[in-house]
Amino acid sequence: MQYPEPLAKLIDSYMRLPGIGHKTAIRLAYFTVGMNKDDVKNFADALVSTKDKLKFCSICGNLTEEDPCEICRDPNRDRSKILVVEQSKDVMVMEQMKNYKGLYHVLHGVLSPIEGKGPEELNIKSLIKRLQKNESVNEVIIATNATPEGEATAMYLSKLIKPAGIKVTRLAHGLSVGSDIEYADNMTLYRAIKGRTQM
Amino acid sequence: MKLKNLELRHFRNYEKINVNFSDGINVLIGNNAQGKTNLLEAIYVLALARSHRTRNNRDLINWKYENAQMKGRVSKAYADTDLELDLDRSGKRAKVNHIEQAKLSSYVGQLNVILFSPEDLSIVKGSPSVRRKFMDMEFGQISGQYLYNLSHYQRILEQRNRYLKQLYYRKAHDRLFLDVLSDQLSAFGAEIIHQRIQLLAGLEKSARQIHWDISLHKEKLKFRYVTALKDKDLTSTNHIYECLRALYKKNRNREIKQRTTILGPHRDDIHFIVNGKNVQTFGSQGQQRTTTLSVKLAEIDLMKSETNEAPILLLDDVLSELDGNRQTHLLKAIQDKVQTFLTTTSLSGITKKLIDNPKVFKISNGKITID
Repeated sequence: MQYPEPLAKLIDSYMRLPGIGHKTAIRLAYFTVGMNKDDVKNFADALVSTKDKLKFCSICGNLTEEDPCEICRDPNRDRSKILVVEQSKDVMVMEQMKNYKGLYHVLHGVLSPIEGKGPEELNIKSLIKRLQKNESVNEVIIATNATPEGEATAMYLSKLIKPAGIKVTRLAHGLSVGSDIEYADNMTLYRAIKGRTQM
Repeated sequence: MKLKNLELRHFRNYEKINVNFSDGINVLIGNNAQGKTNLLEAIYVLALARSHRTRNNRDLINWKYENAQMKGRVSKAYADTDLELDLDRSGKRAKVNHIEQAKLSSYVGQLNVILFSPEDLSIVKGSPSVRRKFMDMEFGQISGQYLYNLSHYQRILEQRNRYLKQLYYRKAHDRLFLDVLSDQLSAFGAEIIHQRIQLLAGLEKSARQIHWDISLHKEKLKFRYVTALKDKDLTSTNHIYECLRALYKKNRNREIKQRTTILGPHRDDIHFIVNGKNVQTFGSQGQQRTTTLSVKLAEIDLMKSETNEAPILLLDDVLSELDGNRQTHLLKAIQDKVQTFLTTTSLSGITKKLIDNPKVFKISNGKITID
């Protein structure tokens, strides 16, 4: 016997989410059937409003309800620093640290020809425009991931920005805070020794 | 290190066996198609979590069953280690001292093996890619950093080749990004070339002496690392990096035209030179065999000096390929030094006299008896 059509559609929809396979999708679908109607309606509204109400900030590329976004509008932010991240998610992670008061720029990916992402496909042009328009920026901090692609993106940006006389910095790599040296793997230790700092 | 004990379940043609090995030479004797090489393969798989004969795990599992299990007890200078590898259709699980390892890289390297089979002649006779694979396999077992650099290099190479294609077909236009990829490739390429040259120098030192002895003091063996760079540029990682960068810059238009990266460690080679001549093209069959043997035996020394433990030697049907003089040298080189497993169809004449107290296992149709 087949699943009734609404249920089959719901299972199919759940399966489009990352990390959810066939079995989990079925479980979630049956759970949804058992939920009360208001909860389901709220859930559906929340899903739809991510598409209706959210847009990308025209300045930094971050997800926002209003354009420009809250951070770009905030007069108390330090406008001399821009921190460049791969995804909007990373902005939230940085904000939770509560210790960075500068601005952001979201690239929406990293340079990866295999995935068809070259410099034109990323949100790089608007970063350059921003730097040309605002002379107050004196440092660009690059916070792409420590993957080969993340490194390539960081190198590319620094080659692009440095000639304008703006300081370009990269996040440090190495041991994570509070961790024991004895549990670190060889490559982490190698990077940590390479990037050691003078005391 | 020594492999003290091996337990197999449902591996190839073995239903269930449990054998204790000698620390010296273990001879696996039997007719064709009885399971001699399967036993060597089992040791190889236990060490490296993959086979040299097949890429498909399914081939390793006995056709009557769904999964295979292999366990080994390895004794090293300070302690014993228990290794366990479970294979089934979906993949493999590896345990060290009964603890499951999340990454295979933390499993591989617990047991070091060197395999020598008749196909190894292709290291001397075959194409450059065989020699590159030989270097990558050996050096990867010795150095985790080499493996790290290699995997990053391959990833960036793939990206760069793809970008060259996109530039050629005018789907991309940014030359600055190509420069970035070239710089990145040069950085990892320089590390690899530098490491290869250093490790090859160690290998050459032992191989030269072994070759000198086997050839009865008539032949001098030398290695030459063949690369697009000049010898004088190979002095330091930094220097290699700068030279690679310059070469990529110079060949930029050519590479775009050819849509691929035309130079770097993925195109390098080794030449084995005997008395000033390249053995691959000018050597006799005998010289080629001697060279292969010298290189393989030198690997034992290299691995020992880099990891402080002698590896385990697997000789698959090699004795029959060698003449009396070479057999003598091979057996002299391994006697009392390395634990060895060798397969043969018969223990006749010269071989028998040369081996002191071998432990002989008779293999017949997946069953093992001690002689």
